Amino acid sequence: MEKSNPILIIEDSIEDFEIVSWAFQKAGNQQSIERVARAEDALLRINQFDALKPCLILLDLNLPGMSGKELLTLIKQSDDGSFIPVVVLSNSNNPHDIKSCYRLGASGYICKPLQLQQFIDKIKNLMSYWFNTVALPLERN
Amino acid sequence: MAENKPDEFYNDLGRIDQPDILSLQNCDREQVQFSGAIQPYGALLVLDPNSLTIISASANTYSLLAATWDSLVGSNIDSLLGEEQAQALRLQLMAKPVNTALAYLMTVSCLKSVNQPFHLFANATEGQLLLEFEAVEAIEPSVQTVSWQRLYSAMQCLQQTTSLSGFFAEALEQIQFFSGFERVMAYRFDTDGSGEVIAEIKPDALESYLSLHYPASDIPEPARRLFALSPLRHLPDVDYTPVPLLPETLEKTVNLSYANLRSVSVMYTGYLRNMGVKATLVMPLFKAGKLWGLIACQHSTPLYLSYEKRIPLELLSQMLSQWMLSREEQEQLAYKEQLNQVLDQLMVKMAKSESLQQALIQDDINLLTDFDAGGVAVLMDGKLVVLGKTPLQNQITLLIKWLAQQVEDIFTTDSLSKHFPFAQEFSDVASGLLAIRLSSKSQDWIIWFRAEILTEVNWAGNPDKPVEIDEFNGEIRLQPRTSFALWQQTVNARSRPWLECEQEYAIRLRNALFTIVVERAWLLAQINADLERSNLELDSFAYAASHDMKEPLRGIYNYVEFLKLEESEHLSPTGRQRLETILNLAERMVGFLDTLLQYSRIGKNKLEFSACNMNELIKETVTIINDAWQDNAINIEIQGSLPVINGDAVWVSRIFQNLLTNAIKYNQQPCKQIVIGCDTTQATPVFFVRDNGIGIAPEYHEKIFELFYHLHNREVFGSGSGAGLTIVRRAVERHGGRIWLESTLGQGSTFFFTLSPIKIKS
Repeated sequence: MEKSNPILIIEDSIEDFEIVSWAFQKAGNQQSIERVARAEDALLRINQFDALKPCLILLDLNLPGMSGKELLTLIKQSDDGSFIPVVVLSNSNNPHDIKSCYRLGASGYICKPLQLQQFIDKIKNLMSYWFNTVALPLERN
Repeated sequence: MAENKPDEFYNDLGRIDQPDILSLQNCDREQVQFSGAIQPYGALLVLDPNSLTIISASANTYSLLAATWDSLVGSNIDSLLGEEQAQALRLQLMAKPVNTALAYLMTVSCLKSVNQPFHLFANATEGQLLLEFEAVEAIEPSVQTVSWQRLYSAMQCLQQTTSLSGFFAEALEQIQFFSGFERVMAYRFDTDGSGEVIAEIKPDALESYLSLHYPASDIPEPARRLFALSPLRHLPDVDYTPVPLLPETLEKTVNLSYANLRSVSVMYTGYLRNMGVKATLVMPLFKAGKLWGLIACQHSTPLYLSYEKRIPLELLSQMLSQWMLSREEQEQLAYKEQLNQVLDQLMVKMAKSESLQQALIQDDINLLTDFDAGGVAVLMDGKLVVLGKTPLQNQITLLIKWLAQQVEDIFTTDSLSKHFPFAQEFSDVASGLLAIRLSSKSQDWIIWFRAEILTEVNWAGNPDKPVEIDEFNGEIRLQPRTSFALWQQTVNARSRPWLECEQEYAIRLRNALFTIVVERAWLLAQINADLERSNLELDSFAYAASHDMKEPLRGIYNYVEFLKLEESEHLSPTGRQRLETILNLAERMVGFLDTLLQYSRIGKNKLEFSACNMNELIKETVTIINDAWQDNAINIEIQGSLPVINGDAVWVSRIFQNLLTNAIKYNQQPCKQIVIGCDTTQATPVFFVRDNGIGIAPEYHEKIFELFYHLHNREVFGSGSGAGLTIVRRAVERHGGRIWLESTLGQGSTFFFTLSPIKIKS
């Protein structure tokens, strides 16, 4: 798959980002990873006309300013981003949060596990599903 | 002593032929107002109110007014009074229109008897104007002045009296002076219409009527009603010959209801004669606008009082009415003051006390303090407490049932068994009753009881035989009573009557109670609302805090993991051990936070209720547990069939998960037996989880539900959050249910719970 369609990770905590990108690396990720720390930046990036659209978005719910759920809604309503799969990556395992995210159009929901190995496994499965099982809605070269 | 038996008392069925013989058949048809006759101490003219043409005149106009009746009938009033006076009369009638109440108009003299002036009184009824002429009595101005001075000093004396009895004594003395009548009595009506002579002045030679009771039929209701309209009724001579109104045949009969001169009933004159009375004068007494009694004057020989003599009496009686209320109030003042003080003290007590009912009954200051009653009962919120001498509790309960149907508000009686025959059973303690309902819809009551007082009532004559019946010509003839001999009656099932100020006290107490209750309810609602809000805030706080804390905690865990992975070889075994410890500690904290999150969620989130098939739900839950533990030594059995209930499936499952987890953890048996079931015989289904585990000593049955409470050390049964049961209880309570347990140390535990409010099977 085209490497230049990045995985967009929306995560405000630098530590959490370090952990997730480490997990991606250990899981054998080949795609480029871009990060934004605020929802507003994510919208800008998605709507950027002179850059490649992200192939997959990983969204933390706990963002400063606009919340993750609000951002999810906006992405799914926008012309430029509604087709991009958004997988929520969250600390919360509250069933209400899970349900509402799916209602708002999330394509998946991962509770960040405690242990690193579990995290690596989840990312492996994530990649296997989105890159090797289903088709992504982006043109490949 | 009774007044004219008037008018409304008898049916409107036309005149009778022989008005002086009454029989049982026709006494109800005597129509005194249409008797067409007057007393001889004045003359009466009936006129057309517009033209002032004389329609009818009493037969005595010649002797009084020097004009024969037939000369008057047909002409107008000018022929009698002359043009000037007639004109004055017309002006007067226009200025102050006349109605039924008899009014003094002016003084006139007739054309033919200029030297004798007359007082002119008028009343109008049914399109007729009635003019009464009464001779003016010439009184020396100096005598007149003395009379007014005397009246003035009489008023002063009355004002200075300090007691009710002193008031009446003074009043009767003054009336005797002004009227000259031998016997003057003050007569008070009872609630049932009978009456009692409460004060009396008489010559020594005559027997006393003081404290005598007279039956209601002596002064029937219609008579009493008329007194309200007439300030004074005078019968100067019992043996008078009625003067007819002429001509006898008239188109329209004259209504003499309100005429002073009206001829009185034969029953009345007969009655008086039987009593030895020849002349009477009667004035009504009012208290707070209602007819309270009469001043009755009697004389053993005929006695006529002119208008001049009657005026001071009318004035006096009206003043008596005014002042009687305040005299009575003064008498009761000291008592009233005491009661006010008690009420204040009671209110202070109630404000400080949790139980209003106890505050009213207990200690030194209670509902009987200074209050003239033998006992009191208070029914509040279905609980009945009594103090002092009262009927039995079951009797009171029946009484209250009866009261609830009769009474909205307040009920007083001094003879309860008259109204409620069942009360005869306890008439010794409760002949008198003052019952007050705390609010019009409530079932709360305060009831004071008064013991029976055996009294002798002195009746003037047999009260059950107010008229005598004897045969005459085959007819049964009614005679007014001839016998006024003392007839004593022992009255029982009666108490002292209740005073106005006592009723007021009850009402004020009720109002104070009501206010307190309402305030408390409002306060309670406020407190509950605050509590709700506080809990909600706490839950939100707990949720936010645990949620926010999880992120860096996980970060710590992961970074220690990084260290392990990347720096292990640079660490000593101890160092590696330390890292493990950090990981363990962090894990525990994550556990706590998860528990806190879960716990706060039950408070915060709305439960989603749906019909839960418990058979299926429990089966699924048991599967989850078995999968988690993967232990063959665990045997979970579902006993019997479980019902379908209304609840939040997620939380219900969690309840069972927690209980099952506990049942498995706190169990040292080789084979762990757990039974799940439900008791559907109760009105509300009671679920249970029974285990053969280690059991819980009774002193811990409450504590184990506390948040983060640990009964055992972590090492013994594995670490738990310590919130499992807390969460279970909260979830149960949010379903409106209750959880409790039965357990003995070493012999397993059974947890019982309901998932809806417990209904009591009726």
